[in-house]
Amino acid sequence: MGKNHLGEFEEIVMLTVAILHGEAYGVAIIEEMETRLKRSVSIGSLQVVLKRLEDKGYLKSELGEATSVRGGKRKRFFTVTNVGKDMLRTSKEQRMQLWDAVPDVALEFIGL
Amino acid sequence: MSRSNHNPPKLMLRFFRWYCNPQLVEDIEGDLVERFEIRALKEGHKKAQNLFVKDVLQLFRPGIIRSFTGNQKLNSLGMLKNNMVVAKRQLLRHKMYSTIKIGGFAIGIAVCLLITLFIKNELSYDKHIPGHENLYRVVNNFNKDGNIIKWTWFAPPFAQAIQDDFPEVSLAGRTNEGNNFGAGKNNIRIEGDLQNHYEGDFIYADQQILDLFQFEMVYGNLSEALAQPNTLVMTRKKADKLFPGENPVGRTVYINDNTNRPYKIGGVLEDLPSTGFFQFDFLWTLTAREFWDGEQVSWESQNYQVYVRVNPGTDIEELNPRLSEIGTKYILPVEKRNGNPYAEEEMKNMSFSLAPVTDIYLKSPDINDPYQKSDIKYIWIFGIIAAFILGLACINFINLSTAKSANRAKEVGLRKTIGSFRSHLITQFLTESTLYSLLSFVIAIGIASVVLPFFNQLAGKELTLPWAELWFIPTLFMSSVLIGVIAGLYPAFYLSSFKPAAVLKGKLGMGSKSSKLRNALVVFQFTASIVLIIGTFVVYQQMEYILNTTIGFNKEQVIQLRNTEVVRNQPDNFKNELLKTPEISSVSISDYLPISGTARNGNTWWKDGRTKIDAGKPGQNWQIDYDYIKTLGINLVQGRNFDREMRTDTAAIIINQKMVNELGIQDNPIGAKLTNRASNRFIWTVIGVVEDFNYDLLTSPVRPLAMRLGNAPSTTSILANTQNMAATLGEIQKVWEDIAPNQPFIYEFMDQSFAKMYVGVERIRNILTSFAVLAIIIACLGLFGLSVFMIEQRNKEISVRLVLGAKVRQIVGMLSFNFMKPILLALLIATPIAWYMMEEWLSGFEYKTDMSIQLFVIAGASALMIALITISFQSLKAAFSSPVQGLRNE
Repeated sequence: MGKNHLGEFEEIVMLTVAILHGEAYGVAIIEEMETRLKRSVSIGSLQVVLKRLEDKGYLKSELGEATSVRGGKRKRFFTVTNVGKDMLRTSKEQRMQLWDAVPDVALEFIGL
Repeated sequence: MSRSNHNPPKLMLRFFRWYCNPQLVEDIEGDLVERFEIRALKEGHKKAQNLFVKDVLQLFRPGIIRSFTGNQKLNSLGMLKNNMVVAKRQLLRHKMYSTIKIGGFAIGIAVCLLITLFIKNELSYDKHIPGHENLYRVVNNFNKDGNIIKWTWFAPPFAQAIQDDFPEVSLAGRTNEGNNFGAGKNNIRIEGDLQNHYEGDFIYADQQILDLFQFEMVYGNLSEALAQPNTLVMTRKKADKLFPGENPVGRTVYINDNTNRPYKIGGVLEDLPSTGFFQFDFLWTLTAREFWDGEQVSWESQNYQVYVRVNPGTDIEELNPRLSEIGTKYILPVEKRNGNPYAEEEMKNMSFSLAPVTDIYLKSPDINDPYQKSDIKYIWIFGIIAAFILGLACINFINLSTAKSANRAKEVGLRKTIGSFRSHLITQFLTESTLYSLLSFVIAIGIASVVLPFFNQLAGKELTLPWAELWFIPTLFMSSVLIGVIAGLYPAFYLSSFKPAAVLKGKLGMGSKSSKLRNALVVFQFTASIVLIIGTFVVYQQMEYILNTTIGFNKEQVIQLRNTEVVRNQPDNFKNELLKTPEISSVSISDYLPISGTARNGNTWWKDGRTKIDAGKPGQNWQIDYDYIKTLGINLVQGRNFDREMRTDTAAIIINQKMVNELGIQDNPIGAKLTNRASNRFIWTVIGVVEDFNYDLLTSPVRPLAMRLGNAPSTTSILANTQNMAATLGEIQKVWEDIAPNQPFIYEFMDQSFAKMYVGVERIRNILTSFAVLAIIIACLGLFGLSVFMIEQRNKEISVRLVLGAKVRQIVGMLSFNFMKPILLALLIATPIAWYMMEEWLSGFEYKTDMSIQLFVIAGASALMIALITISFQSLKAAFSSPVQGLRNE
């Protein structure tokens, strides 16, 4: 665990970045998450996570071209690095292993 | 889309740009603006703006905020950090000096902190009363030959009169604290219960007093708790004791077993805050209460305190002179009817005034009233002493900093050479001193919290460190910075003034330039310390004097039994039972004793037949019994004691010498006829004269006194001649339980009650002692530091002297003498200051000790001794050190 552990929110952010594939910048990520997951995300919490993931080396970023919208400020586009992809895959495999190990009865709904 | 209409709030944007990490600012700002624009379209401008503010605030978090270091723009912070590092190194390298600096500082600050808490507590008295701004008490001012005498006792109808006659006064109420009315401690018994409880204090009060002071209620209704006759209220503390866990309202109690006058409990008050002048446990109602026939409508006796509430905005200065109308309207006719020839003149000299209730505790030492008070004077004295002690600590800091300047000189020179401005150096040294000060504050708070319980005992307070209060921590922090800057200012300017060229050549005179200033500061420190030492000595001596002076009566081996009201009908039986114990030599039953808090009864006396000619002389009128003079060892100088065989002794009195002189009957006092009433003549014949004995505090002279036979049985004095006091007390208790079953047995030793009268003096003594000790500790810490430094400086000189054959004695003598000079000077300066100050203090006592030369010699010698011991550690060490050590390093 330790360093290589991904938090739930971190994982969602990385997956969203992967979904957007090259078009992932702050507002786009937020909107994607909001529409897909119906959960509201603040710029603050997102930016902190993006920065952390970048520091860990799971994401990389570059600044795009300036446009006339958004006050002429450039966008920062994020992409998932190879390390990040590995991480996501490991994470998914671990989940699947756990799912496979669960006996069927344990997750059946118990009728009233 | 016209963008100009949809701008995000400018201020928030600017705030964001200010705090955001510069590497992140551009794209996050873009995100913020883009989101704002989307929202403005979808949800409207207003909502978008609000959400923008929220976003910006949510971004204010670690990871986004720019870091303090590693940024070119924040260079001054980097410098500050470096200053801190240097300061830390200095602190650790010179551990001893740092300890002295910080230790002295911490002590000084701890003292200041405690005194500040104390002063704050004193100043908060009675500020808790709702509407205290409009709450006043009435004061009598009587101009007696130019001296204004002030007191606060008034006739029963006064309160009603002031409320009726002056529309400015919306409500008036009275209290009565008189012992001779039964106020004070009493036995209280719950109906249906056998056991009595001796509780107090009881005070009489009108229902209006509850309305005026707006006490918090636990049970019952404030606006009617005392409205009915024969009701009383008590505080929560007493209710919990007498009626644990129940609501006592409506229950019946008996006072002193008097079943003819049962009292109903009208309410329970929340315990009174300790910061109030008005302290009591029970309030008896005055509703429909009359202490003798016609008392409530008579203007002839003055026994009541009067409190009033005035309408907001009343001009008190304008109202005060008009209050005299009460005198001319009500009092003057009564005085004239009684035939007082001076009535008109007396009324001219009499005036009434309203004084704020919040002034009672601190600002009315000149007003005679029944309350425990302090004096704003002490607040000043304490404040000044606190400032002085802090000053002494600052001086240590300054002295040691400048003394060690030689060590810093090279650093200063080098810094200047490589381009440092003087202002940078000043900042550096101030940072250092602030750091020291902050450290000292932390230690000081530790010291203060450890010492607080002792301080509370010393000052008779219940103070706590007010961590929960908003002002506390910021104030501490601000003061630590402020004090750090103040203490560091001189050293900072001094140290930063060095010329780099001179310093680097090694020409600096090793800190000797400022040695004059250092000596002056040492003189100041020791002057303050010596003044405090002398002051402490004088207060000690005065206390001893008071407790051991001849006071005209015997207080040793006298046991006082309180609460002996029950023997009223069988005094002789009680006495005889007690006297069966061989150790008991005499018993007297009287509540009039030469101890504060016992009964008093002020009268006016004339020679018989001259009531309409002479002005009457005030004098006490006490009720005693046959054995009183014997039990208390009072010296009868003329005439005889009361005699059981003489039936006429019921009209006889024994007076003191002061009374003899006041009435001018020195020639033949025995047989003189006196009277104590202007109307309704009653004549007393003097049968004896006693030597003056002190029945007041020794701050005032003995006042005239007359004693007659009477029944005032609430205290019994027992003179015992015993080695085994415990056994004798056991005997007394046995007798008591036979005679008065179910009555609590309460006793005190008279010498202890006497000493209790002087707790105030004792408190000053203890506080002064602590201050003196602290001052001398701080001064010695500084002196010690200086001596270490000086001897370091003269290390080579001493070594050379030793090599050339100087004796240890000579070296120690030489070094010590150098240090003794400023202290001798301090002694010279301190002596007159201390003499003057203590003369002032002693002038407040009628009976006082002499300030002898010895006193000053002893105080001075002890200061010198302490200083000498402090220095001798270092000088001895230097004298015994091997000269090789000092000369080896060149």
